[in-house]
Amino acid sequence: MWLQVIINGLLIGGFFASTAMGFSIVWGVMDVVNSAHGAFIMLGAYVTYGLHTMLGLDPFLSIPISMLVLFIIGFLTQKYIVNLIMKTAVSMSFVLTWGLDILLINIALVLFTANWRSVSPSYAGAHWAIGTATVSYIRAGVLIVSVLLMFGLSYFMSRTKMGKAILATAFDKDAARLVGVNIGHIYAVTLGIGSALAGAAGSLTSMIYPISPQLGVTLIAKAFVVTALGGLGDMRGVIAGGLVLGFAESLGVALLGPEYQMALDVLMLVAMLILRPQGILGKKYYG
Amino acid sequence: MSADQSSLVSRWKTAISDLRQGRAKRRTYVILMVVALAFLAVLPFVAGNYWVRVVTGIFMFATLSQAWNVITGYTGYFAFGNVAFLGTGAYVTAVLVVRYSVPVPVAIVIGAVVAAVYAMLLGFPLLRITGHYFSIATIGVNLATREIAFNLPSITGGGMGITMPLMRVSIQTFYRYIYFGMLGLMLLCTAAVYLLMRSRTGFAFRAIGADESAARSMGINTTLYKVLAWGFSAFFFGLVGGLYAYWFSFIEPPMVFNPANAIKIVAMTYLGGIGTLPGPIIGAFILEIISETVWGRFLELHLAVLGLIIVFVTVFMPNGLLPLIRGESSLRALVQNLRERRL
Repeated sequence: MWLQVIINGLLIGGFFASTAMGFSIVWGVMDVVNSAHGAFIMLGAYVTYGLHTMLGLDPFLSIPISMLVLFIIGFLTQKYIVNLIMKTAVSMSFVLTWGLDILLINIALVLFTANWRSVSPSYAGAHWAIGTATVSYIRAGVLIVSVLLMFGLSYFMSRTKMGKAILATAFDKDAARLVGVNIGHIYAVTLGIGSALAGAAGSLTSMIYPISPQLGVTLIAKAFVVTALGGLGDMRGVIAGGLVLGFAESLGVALLGPEYQMALDVLMLVAMLILRPQGILGKKYYG
Repeated sequence: MSADQSSLVSRWKTAISDLRQGRAKRRTYVILMVVALAFLAVLPFVAGNYWVRVVTGIFMFATLSQAWNVITGYTGYFAFGNVAFLGTGAYVTAVLVVRYSVPVPVAIVIGAVVAAVYAMLLGFPLLRITGHYFSIATIGVNLATREIAFNLPSITGGGMGITMPLMRVSIQTFYRYIYFGMLGLMLLCTAAVYLLMRSRTGFAFRAIGADESAARSMGINTTLYKVLAWGFSAFFFGLVGGLYAYWFSFIEPPMVFNPANAIKIVAMTYLGGIGTLPGPIIGAFILEIISETVWGRFLELHLAVLGLIIVFVTVFMPNGLLPLIRGESSLRALVQNLRERRL
């Protein structure tokens, strides 16, 4: 039984990390808490659902498409809406994206209705058996994709020109501007990347959970906890935070039952914020 | 027209133009307020139950927005989860009335005190956190309090909620009682905030909101004052919560800890003008009236429109409508503001 708890913790931890990646990068680079991240995840889930239902596309294969769609949405949102308030108080971005979140969720409710839908590919129930524990194919795939995304993001940030420009902007906005970086454009690309990661997370979500427009509300809470636990400024923090949350939940469900999941999350969050606000691997600046 | 009448008209015109330019004498404001109050006092006796309920709702949200403004607008700590204290007040009141037969007004006050104490106890650890983290922590508090309410069925009735006893009067009279109750709370809250912000404590709040480290270096005990601000805010949330419980006669956790109420409060306060005294009231009136008209026609779009308003207000009018109404700003200035903020 404990083997199953550990495996579950690992698998769900990877999933949580994937939901938090986009959220963490936007926060770390732009100091914007993207309250609409949950809505973006939800949109990614619906993209996968739509492609799967209408074209029969395998959900894993739809990930690049949902990433592209969400990149465009995020890019345009930042460029034409959020960029307008970047120079105002920091809390404005929180409120603004909150408004966007409400808007997106309710438009989705009108378009898609509140019915729960699910994406079930043909291999949905298949699993491996390891001793007394089972590992479902899909969840293992989700973990692998999460890890790939993390490595991909790290590579992008450290090796490509755009990635370095983003890091430079996070480090010192004015110096970056002095060397010719177009800050508004960089911000737009950053939110685009964050949204793309949200889209990927949404695609992954649709494979594990049933989806509805309210999907993002609980997921953004998890993303926030993961980010706060793991700390900003380092992608490995997201993985660390994700695993901590995953194991905590897995243990919590095994020992206390599922009703206390939310309370446990909140407790860990508040404890971390009080004891070590920068998180496990958090740094004072990005890089 | 006789000389008396024409001078009355011209005095009226001067008064209006003075108001628009923010130069109005105090007397004009007082007259305005008395007229408004007279109108509101008469309203429940001439309007139907529907409008009485709508306006009661406006008073309720105006009170909440006003109280929220103290911790958020003045002191600068964006407590998005403050509805936790509304729920606390509601539940304490309900439990006292139903299980211990405490008279309703007393129960409401005790509920408010409990909510304030809860906020102050939470404040000591939580108010050390700043910025976004604090906001999210308060949302967490709201959710956690809701879970507590769910998971103590012996006291709170869990998911089944609590039903309050009904007043033995006609529906119309009952609604009027609640109407005046909420109106009273709104006036009380506004008066309290007005007096508070003119006092040294209020000055401390504003100092903390402007620049906390500067305030601390001036010798202000920021921890104490932040906790007081949150406690004050929570007290009024608790009062409203208690009356709300009595009004609806039935409460359950998702209802009183509803984050949608938090959204409305945020939208109203921003719309009216954060950090100002009339702001929350104006915001509450305008938003609730728009809300009712939109809700009537487009039920599904109701929250979407709210979201749109929040987006619109934060981008174009971060200081709310009040500067526009007062004539301190203008549409042209807003557009210019926008251009200056371009990256």
